[in-house]
Amino acid sequence: METPIPDDLLQFRDYSNTSATNSSAPAQINVNSPTHSTGSATGGSASSNGRQRGDPLSDLIYDMSNSVQTLTGGGSANAAAPGGGADGTAGSPGAGTRLSFLTIEYYQQFFNVDTYMVLERIANSMIPKRAAGNYLRMNIGENPDLYGPFWITVTLIFSIAITGNIASYLHHATDAYQWHYNFHLVSYAATCIFLYANVLPIILWALFKYSLKPINDTDTIEADSANYTPTLLSLMCVYGYSLAIYIPVSILWVINISLLQWLLVITAAMLSGTVLIAVLTPALRNSQFSLFLIIGILGAHVILAAGFMLYFFHSPQDPLSPAYAALQAPTPDSIDGVLPSVNRTR
Amino acid sequence: MDARLDMFDGDMLEGDMSIPGAPKRTTTQNGVPDYNTLDEPIKETVLRDMRAVGVKFYHVLYPKEKSSLLRDWDLWGPLVLCTFMATILQGSSSADSMADNGPEFAQVFVIVWIGAAIVTLNSKLLGGNISFFQSVCVLGYCLTPVALALIVCRVILLATQTRLLFFLRFVTTTMGFAWATYASFIFLGQSQPPHRKPLAVYPIFLFFFIISWLVLSHN
Repeated sequence: METPIPDDLLQFRDYSNTSATNSSAPAQINVNSPTHSTGSATGGSASSNGRQRGDPLSDLIYDMSNSVQTLTGGGSANAAAPGGGADGTAGSPGAGTRLSFLTIEYYQQFFNVDTYMVLERIANSMIPKRAAGNYLRMNIGENPDLYGPFWITVTLIFSIAITGNIASYLHHATDAYQWHYNFHLVSYAATCIFLYANVLPIILWALFKYSLKPINDTDTIEADSANYTPTLLSLMCVYGYSLAIYIPVSILWVINISLLQWLLVITAAMLSGTVLIAVLTPALRNSQFSLFLIIGILGAHVILAAGFMLYFFHSPQDPLSPAYAALQAPTPDSIDGVLPSVNRTR
Repeated sequence: MDARLDMFDGDMLEGDMSIPGAPKRTTTQNGVPDYNTLDEPIKETVLRDMRAVGVKFYHVLYPKEKSSLLRDWDLWGPLVLCTFMATILQGSSSADSMADNGPEFAQVFVIVWIGAAIVTLNSKLLGGNISFFQSVCVLGYCLTPVALALIVCRVILLATQTRLLFFLRFVTTTMGFAWATYASFIFLGQSQPPHRKPLAVYPIFLFFFIISWLVLSHN
């Protein structure tokens, strides 16, 4: 570029419209990166939790450079997120480079969340109507994270295994029975929960993609939202967070009153089922099988909750429960008359 | 050593130089001593490593100074602790019991090592600036209070069980768990960016909680 002479600087210049050459998304400041504080409902109160926003000029430069990366780098997932990582600008890969999936930086983009964001998402998954209407597309779609789903499922597995063992122990506290810890519960719980949290989003994603309603008018505003199907990561994120409500509920399931247990099943399934449907509405609207999908999603959720309760926590009059299976272990002679089917292998 | 400079006519000059004020270090880089270890007796080599491991155990139990665990990491301590705990915790392997009671040896091993690896991976993915093996080393060494609680529980289990003894075991296990979490928080807490620290600390808490649960439910 030639050095501008003062007269040049004062000339009015006409810059061509960049959107004519670049058909990607229009320029926008990426407000869902973790250093920007807008939550869906809490407004600006969370700004103190973000990056140190002391210098307005550097913040502006940061915002602008993120938007430039979004325009030039192509995929927003690759370009914007690594630059927006918590370790600042130094040392992160260059803007717009395609990251190999063998590097750790590729996976860091799925963990690009701060503490308040995780807490916000958990609250949104438990309280219906708390999230905004475009939550799926704008909040989770822009920044899907795998931290929440992974650690919520792990916590849920161990909380169900531990409280299931506590429940079976408490039920036998009055007998002279030597209670044995049943470690298999961990494996069963793990299989169940991982299948639900991983396979169901894949099925749903495929169903959404292939049951898109054909659009018959070419109005661009309509077509944009009518073509929307959620990404696989967004679905896994939403499903992962929707399991969060079962963690406190599993602790309450220890109380061995059957009515209370069923009440908890219904309440928890209704709450998180409603949230699931509300969050997935923009995508459900575009599908041909929307009614079946709604019934399927709710049904799977209710079956999961009921299955947990019946298998792990129900009282051992139910011959299917593992608490009853634990009774098959060698028992002292005094209980022989009470339990006719004790398996004596000693 | 003083500088010696012998000036004479002839072929070459020799001398030594000492730089005043440079810190005396026994290792120039991590783990590689700059003195010749080839000629020393084996007893000395083994004792040196054992002393290093012992120093780390001491620093875990009284977590004040943190650089020794982080700088000179090793995995001997975690291996010893994990093997010890898995041996004690494994369920009764008597052939006539139909249901497995406690976890198998391999299950405890997997929980400890894979658990430490997952927790480390998590803190690296969140943007922490600690190396993989340093973090596994710290998590492994911080199992020491939990192992001590396991020993105490095992001793308590020798008597016939009552409510009071169960309560004692519960208290011991809780103290071991709290001590382990506090120690690892001291070592690992600084390596995380501040607005993500709870996100990185929670998996450590969960890791020690699960292992303490295994200790408590062992009978």
